[in-house]
Amino acid sequence: MNYKPIDWADERLGIAKFSRKSLNKIFPDHWSFMLGEIAMYSFFVLLGTGVFLTLFFVPSSADTIYHGSYAPLDGHVVSQAYASTLNLSFNVRAGLVMRQMHHWAANVFVAAIVVHLLRIFFTGAFRKPREINWLVGSLLLMMAILEGFLGYSLPDDLISGTGIRIAYSITLSIPVVGSYLASFLFGGQFPGNSIIPRFYTIHILLIPALMAGLLGAHLAIMWHQKHTQYKGKGRTENNVVGVAMWPAYALQAGGFFFLTAAVLAALGGLVQINPIWMYGQYIPYKVSYAVQPDWYMGWLDGALRLFPSWEITGFGHMIPTIFFPAVLLPGVTFGLLMAWPWIERWFTKDYEVHNLLDNPRDNAWRTSIGVGVMAFYMVLFFASSTDVLANAFSVSLNFVLWAFRVLIFVIPPVAAYVAYKVAREASSAPTVGKPRKAMVVFRSTEGEYSSEESGPRREVDLKFSALHGNEPKPLPEEAKLHGIEADGGVTQENSALIGSSVAAAKPQEIEERPGEGSGKYPVSRGTPGAGGGLFSPHNRKMPRRRKDSEEEK
Amino acid sequence: MKIHKKLGRHVLLPVALGIGASISGMALFSQGASASTASGSASSGSANSVTYGGTGGSGSAPITYLKLNPSTIALGKTLFVENCSSCHGDTAEGSSRAPNLQGLGAATIDFWVSTGRMPLADPTIQATSKPSRFTRQQTLAIDAYVSSLAKGGPAIPIVNLGAASISAGEGLFSTNCAACHTITGVGDALADSIYAPSLYPATPTQIAEAVRTGPGNMPRFGTGNFSNQQVADITKYVQYLQHPNNAGGIGLGHIGPVTEGFVGILIGLGSLMIAGYWIGGRAH
Repeated sequence: MNYKPIDWADERLGIAKFSRKSLNKIFPDHWSFMLGEIAMYSFFVLLGTGVFLTLFFVPSSADTIYHGSYAPLDGHVVSQAYASTLNLSFNVRAGLVMRQMHHWAANVFVAAIVVHLLRIFFTGAFRKPREINWLVGSLLLMMAILEGFLGYSLPDDLISGTGIRIAYSITLSIPVVGSYLASFLFGGQFPGNSIIPRFYTIHILLIPALMAGLLGAHLAIMWHQKHTQYKGKGRTENNVVGVAMWPAYALQAGGFFFLTAAVLAALGGLVQINPIWMYGQYIPYKVSYAVQPDWYMGWLDGALRLFPSWEITGFGHMIPTIFFPAVLLPGVTFGLLMAWPWIERWFTKDYEVHNLLDNPRDNAWRTSIGVGVMAFYMVLFFASSTDVLANAFSVSLNFVLWAFRVLIFVIPPVAAYVAYKVAREASSAPTVGKPRKAMVVFRSTEGEYSSEESGPRREVDLKFSALHGNEPKPLPEEAKLHGIEADGGVTQENSALIGSSVAAAKPQEIEERPGEGSGKYPVSRGTPGAGGGLFSPHNRKMPRRRKDSEEEK
Repeated sequence: MKIHKKLGRHVLLPVALGIGASISGMALFSQGASASTASGSASSGSANSVTYGGTGGSGSAPITYLKLNPSTIALGKTLFVENCSSCHGDTAEGSSRAPNLQGLGAATIDFWVSTGRMPLADPTIQATSKPSRFTRQQTLAIDAYVSSLAKGGPAIPIVNLGAASISAGEGLFSTNCAACHTITGVGDALADSIYAPSLYPATPTQIAEAVRTGPGNMPRFGTGNFSNQQVADITKYVQYLQHPNNAGGIGLGHIGPVTEGFVGILIGLGSLMIAGYWIGGRAH
């Protein structure tokens, strides 16, 4: 019997064709393309640790008298949510490290999404055809922030309860519908008994399911459209140069998952986060000073602190002050964020498909707008810790507050201007971003020195080709090899070769993209030649280099 | 502490990176803990050696008061004239620059002098806690001199922590103190240049003195607000906050999400970005 399980599955599900295509799919290899992966792996850690936490957390506001192992709260009337979080932290094996990993993973998750978004923005990866994925990613960011806030609120401790109180007031401030919305959300007046169980349902069921779905869509669209790549030799709008899914990319990504999990586990085991036992049960008449939200809500908290206490009337009614920094600002923020691909197109009139990324220095306008907007939110973020900064540097709290009120108008334009100038300078300097060539210094018999650029490193390319079983073919003339533009006169024959010479450390492979004129996106065509492939017994050895073959269909 | 050790054993770190980080992290944590213990005992040691004497032990009153020795009044007067009289006057009657101290009681004088706030370094800002210029004996002599000038005011309290309840103290602290000193006692900036100082260097006697006399902008909590038992409970909880249960690792200064955010972004995401740069491709 030589009947393999994979054949069994193939005969029923026809997985061979799909798997062959998938395993041979080409991914461009660049460290900045791995930022989104950090977010995804943090999400996996969040799901795993979160499931553990649900086994012990009791989502209830019902009163109970605490008689656990944390002596300073012994005999206190607390909610079951708070008591179960204390129990989870002190009496459940590995409970505290799981809770801390979950919280650290949330902080890193949102941070990784933001850095990933910045990479997409500054390289112009949101342009046609990737506007949909920009929208999906923006939605994921909004949900991640909301999800983080809900999870932070669940333990019902003094600090997070203050946060819920602020959220209630923000909901109330929305004109016309605010009081109804707040009443529906909280099941009546604040605090009530409904908010903890409701937040729990939204936190562990609704939003994670939506996020998992959107994440799947995010990846599927990326897979279908193929990844963008930076400009470089042999890279065109119509191909993808990189490493194959299997084995190189899969192993690299799998290893990175373990690294992410390791860092989060190390933080969870070694660095305290949210020691709720020191905060005590939330009781509406109690308050602690120095209350900040988790970092990703910091910009909203900062906006609340900076906004002056104006009484603004509109349509004959007073609009509550906090409506502007806490409802309008995030609304405008995410509205502009999601509309950005269209806003930029409105200015550039660029309707082309872009698979090659911009270098940020080559698009000074976009870079400077991005830096300016980033600076605006950074100032808001730091403004959320006015009291901590004032205390740490022994200056007046009022001075710090007013300094931020000035800086919020000063820093963004200055940062944008500096970014614009730096980008223009860097872009026009001929040597920036180019690989350095060795200089050969000569001395003449008279003792005169002169220097000359060394030639291309021919031997390395030849050696590399030989290593991978290819006959060392005669290379194209050096001028052609090194003077080539991204989509200049490269023949199909030598474009693969050039791809390999880009980075000698890893086998580079090329996958063709469908041309722009083809109307719609056909399925991936970058599969090995017909008559075999990975699952054929005649072709066990994976071809090192491939290019599209038209006779496949 | 026991819980912390128990947890440590069950932290399953998947790779050597985690183990290496844990060793260095534990080392850091233990260093931080021992440093704070050392500074805490140094300041309380000097205060306790005299004030406690033979008192203490459970069963007695929650707060007893120190009897000042009348024979030290002469020494106290000399010290007062040398160090305090330029502002407060020779008989503590006050001046345009400083208040009258007569009848404020020994506890008030003892708090300001023993925490180093008096003599004042800079009259334009809030009095800053600093190492005291006097020995405990000298401070008590000044207390004796000023309280001999007029009757009234609370005497120096000696807190019987053995009879106090840490749990009741938590309830009182979170209701009455956390709004300025923060729930962890680390202190914070208030309006203008006013700040609520950190409670970490305070001795039990200083905590009780502050509650009863209300130094600076702090409200004064008299016997109508708190019983002596309640003052002792609060004192016990503040003593606990100076060395809290740090289960879970390095405490990050107990100022909440500000430091947590920086650690999450710079160390968490930062180390992962470096890792990505390490294993990923570079510029073409």
